[in-house]
Formats: sequence, C-alpha cells, structure tokens
Amino acid sequence: MSKRVKVNIKRQDSPDSGSYWQTFELPVEDGMNVTTILLRIAATPTTTDGEKVAPVAYDACCLEEVCGACSMRINGKVRQACSALVENLLKEQPEITLEPMTKFPNVRDLVVDRRRIFESLKRVKAWAPIDGYTPRGEPDRMSPSDQEDAYPLSRCMSCGCCMEACPQFNDKDDFIGPHAVSQAILFNTLPAGKPLESERLDALAEAGGIAACGNAQNCVKVCPKDIPLTVSIAKAGRATTIHSIKRFLAR
Amino acid sequence: MSSQTATTAISPREKYYFLARRLHSLTGLMFSGFVCFHLLINATVLTGGESFQFCVEKIHILEHMGILVPVEMATIFFPIAFHALFGIVILLTSQSNMKDYPYGGNIRYTLQRLSAVVILVFLTMHIWHMHWLGKPFGGAQFDPANATSTAAAAMQSWSLWAPIYAIGVAATVFHLANGIWTALITWGVTIGPRSQRVAGYCCVALGAVLFVAGLGAVRGFMTYSVADGNETAAVEQVEESGH
Ligand code: HEM
Ligand code: SF4
Ligand code: SF4
Ligand code: FES
Repeated sequence: MSKRVKVNIKRQDSPDSGSYWQTFELPVEDGMNVTTILLRIAATPTTTDGEKVAPVAYDACCLEEVCGACSMRINGKVRQACSALVENLLKEQPEITLEPMTKFPNVRDLVVDRRRIFESLKRVKAWAPIDGYTPRGEPDRMSPSDQEDAYPLSRCMSCGCCMEACPQFNDKDDFIGPHAVSQAILFNTLPAGKPLESERLDALAEAGGIAACGNAQNCVKVCPKDIPLTVSIAKAGRATTIHSIKRFLAR
Repeated sequence: MSSQTATTAISPREKYYFLARRLHSLTGLMFSGFVCFHLLINATVLTGGESFQFCVEKIHILEHMGILVPVEMATIFFPIAFHALFGIVILLTSQSNMKDYPYGGNIRYTLQRLSAVVILVFLTMHIWHMHWLGKPFGGAQFDPANATSTAAAAMQSWSLWAPIYAIGVAATVFHLANGIWTALITWGVTIGPRSQRVAGYCCVALGAVLFVAGLGAVRGFMTYSVADGNETAAVEQVEESGH
C-alpha cells in the first residue's frame, strides 16, 4: 500500500476574485516533486470532498531549477516547485501547502504576474550595451578575482524568491529588489557592462533603489542559487554613496 | 538620452530619497554616539553622587560659554528629531514576515522597528520627565545644579519609573547596537559575511556594556538617598581644590 499525501492549495479564479483553499490527496511517487503533484492533479482534478474542479494553474518550464518560473510558497516558504521534493516537505509538516507568491499580482491559482522583476532589471539597466553597427573590438580582460566575484551573481534566474521574502519589497514602496541590486553590481563588474556604470549607480540612488533595503538579509537566505546578495547590497551601498557625493561635488 | 528626460521629470521624492535615507543613517549614528556618553556618564552615579554631579558640571561648562543650547540642538535634538520623523516614514514601508522566515537577520530587522516604536514613546516620556523642554508640561524634574539628587528624586517619584527606564534602556541599546551593525552595511564598510559577523560580535559587546551601564544607572538613582544628598557640596570642594 503506497503512501499518500494531502496537498492544500490556495486557489484564485481570476486576478480580481477572492482566494479559497482546496485539498487534494494522491499517492506519493519515488522522487516526486511539487510540479509532479500539480501535473497529477491536472490529470484528475478531484478534491478530497469528491468534487470535480478545474485543474490548478501553475507555471513551470525547465524542471531543473534554472528558469525560475515555478517559484511559489511551499509550506509557507518561497521556493521552486520543481526542486521541492515531497519526501523532504513531509519532514517539515504532515501535509503540503501550496500558495502563490504574495508580492506579485495574482493571475490565477499559483500563477503570478512577475513583471515587476523585469521592470526592476530595466531600471538598473542590467545588460551590456553592445547593440550597434560598429565593431567594438575585444572587451577588456577581467581579472581572476573579478571573475570569481561576478560568476556567482550571473547565476540569477529572476525567480522572485528574494523579493517574496524581502520585508521591504511590497506595495508600500517601489523597491527594485535584491536581485536588481545584485545585477547592477554584476554588470558594473563586467568590462562589457562598464559603459553604463554611472547610469546604474544613478538608478540605485533613486527612490526605491539601494537605500530602500532594510538589511533583514532574508534574500540571501532564500536565494535558491546561493547568490551572495548581501555582499552586492553592501557594495552597492558604498558605490552609490561615493557616486552621489562625486555627482554633488561636480555640480 | 533617457537620463536627460529622467532628470527633468524627477519628483522631490525621487530627488531626495537617497539623501534622506543616508541622513537618517547618519543621524542615527550621531544619536548613538550621544547615547553611549549619556549612559556611561549616568552610570558614574554608582561611584557616588559626587562623580555624577562632577560630570554634569563639566558638560555645563558649555552653558557658561553660552553655547550649551545651540550645541544640544545641533548635535542631539535636530538629529534625533529627523531620525525619528523619517524613521516613522520608513516604518510605514516595511512589512515584517518574521513568522514565515524566522532567520536571525529578519528577527533583528523586526526588533529594530519594534524597538523604534518603544523608543518613540519612551523618549517622549523621558524628555518630559527630565529635560527642561518638559517644563511647560509640568515635567523637567532634573536640575543640573543638583544633578544627582534631582535625578534620583525624579526616578523615585513613581514606582513605575524604574521598570519604564529599564525597558527604555533595553530598547535603545538594542536599536543602537543593531543600528550600528546595519549602518556599517548601509555605508558599505562591512561588505563580506565574515566582516559582518565580526562587526556583529563588536556590536553585541558594545550593547552589553551599555546595557549594564544603563541598568546600573537606573539602580544607582533608585538607591541614591535623596535626603542626605550633598553632591553640590562635594563638587564645590572638588572645584576649590582644583583652583
Ligand atoms: C525616536 C524614535 C526612533 C525611530 C522611529 C527610529 C527608527 C528607525 C528605523 C525605522 C530604522 C531602520 C532604518 C533602516 O534600516 O532602513 C532605524 C535605524 C537606526 N536607528 Fe533609529 N529610530 C529611533 C530612535 C533611535 C535612537 C534613539 C537611536 C540611537 C540610539 C537610533 C539609531 C539608529 C541607527 C544607528 C540606525 C541604523 C541606520 C542604518 O542602518 O543605516 N535610532 N531607526
Ligand atoms: S537573486 Fe536568487 S532569489 Fe533572487 S531572483 Fe535571482 S536567483 Fe532568484
Ligand atoms: S537585506 Fe535588504 S534586500 Fe535583502 S531581504 Fe533584507 S531588506 Fe530585502
Ligand atoms: S521549472 Fe524552471 S525553475 Fe522550476
């Protein structure tokens, strides 16, 4: 007789409607993760009350924790559904709870509108400006220590976990979020990103920029890619202060 | 290009946000410096009423120079007023989630905000209770000329003052120690996890010293015998022998 698991899911039919809970029960499979659960529920969407319901909407893509699409609150803590193993989740609590992320507008069930993540990246110009028709030649070489600093930051997959867990990232403020601070530092370290360094620091000095961080350091704890976000934040604090003073003195 | 259009469309909130947050941090640090002196000087009461009176007289040399009030306003009053007012603005933008993410840093973040509210209430009571600014409202029980005995009398005038001051000291010392720790990150002084950890130990040590000093002072003033207070006589002797 195989083991069964109860899954409580917070559902919402449309962006403006209210939310409600439904419970499903299904057999545990070997190596099962939360995305598998949602897949199985989609096949036979019947609640524990025997009610046939619409399948639970959810996002997923890579299924190997590199795309960042499947972030949700699992047992109250934000993480990737595709890498959250049922076996481990049942050690945390006897039943699994799934909720959509709370810091982004809900679209339906576990799907949220993650646009703010990308708006933030646009605000800090998190790219290398290499468009155009003229050849630019070889970029400067990076020192090994810069490479070592930059590589971990480049693993960010814009999954939203750090923002979901950040107490300063909410509707009351327009904080860009820890990921964007870290990406600004990454592109300021890359030789190809250097031409926009000053504009990125300007963006970090804006309202909702680096100064909105309250140093709770939740971001670094929940980041599935172990990105040293608090190091980026402290670096950004220093660089933005120096940049702003220079700006002021140059006036 | 875009930066140009951005500068023309910039709102005052945009323009001064970063500056205001940095000033908030700086004024927090300034006030922390004051609180360190304040608590340590108060604790001198434990070595006798004369020592505290002596320290107060030294500070009030500034009064004879006619600059006590301007110095007090510029280095203490305006900084903390700005810190408190802008601090309330910051409080309104935070959304604690300690229940879901009970990490050390998150707990300190939440306590930093909780202690700020406690300090807001305590500081108002304390200024009314002791400082001349409280005079129009029937407070201002501290008199620098008879520093030890008036402070002791003020502390002993109500049974709840001792616990209130103990809570006030605890909240202030936590806020100060944790505030210095975060300010070091804010200004980009401690960047890596290791330097932040070491800074954390230093802040805990500072906080422990100030907490003991602060509670010691409360105890000192509670147990000081107001009736046979002779601190002025003692100071006159000190000053005479010094001349
Ligand atoms: C009067 C009521 C007060 C309020 C409402 C208040 C509010 C706050 C808030 C909300 C923060 C967090 C800011 C952030 O991390 O972004 C903070 C930080 C801080 N506070 Fe206060 N505070 C008060 C009193 C004090 C006092 C009495 C001291 C000194 C003992 C102090 C020293 C600091 C320091 C050093 C920081 C750290 C700033 C930083 O991280 O850069 N505050 N305060
Ligand atoms: S920094 Fe980490 S938690 Fe934040 S979006 Fe990137 S990968 Fe996700
Ligand atoms: S350190 Fe800053 S960015 Fe990270 S969770 Fe805390 S407030 Fe948010
Ligand atoms: S599906 Fe890509 S991270 Fe989970």
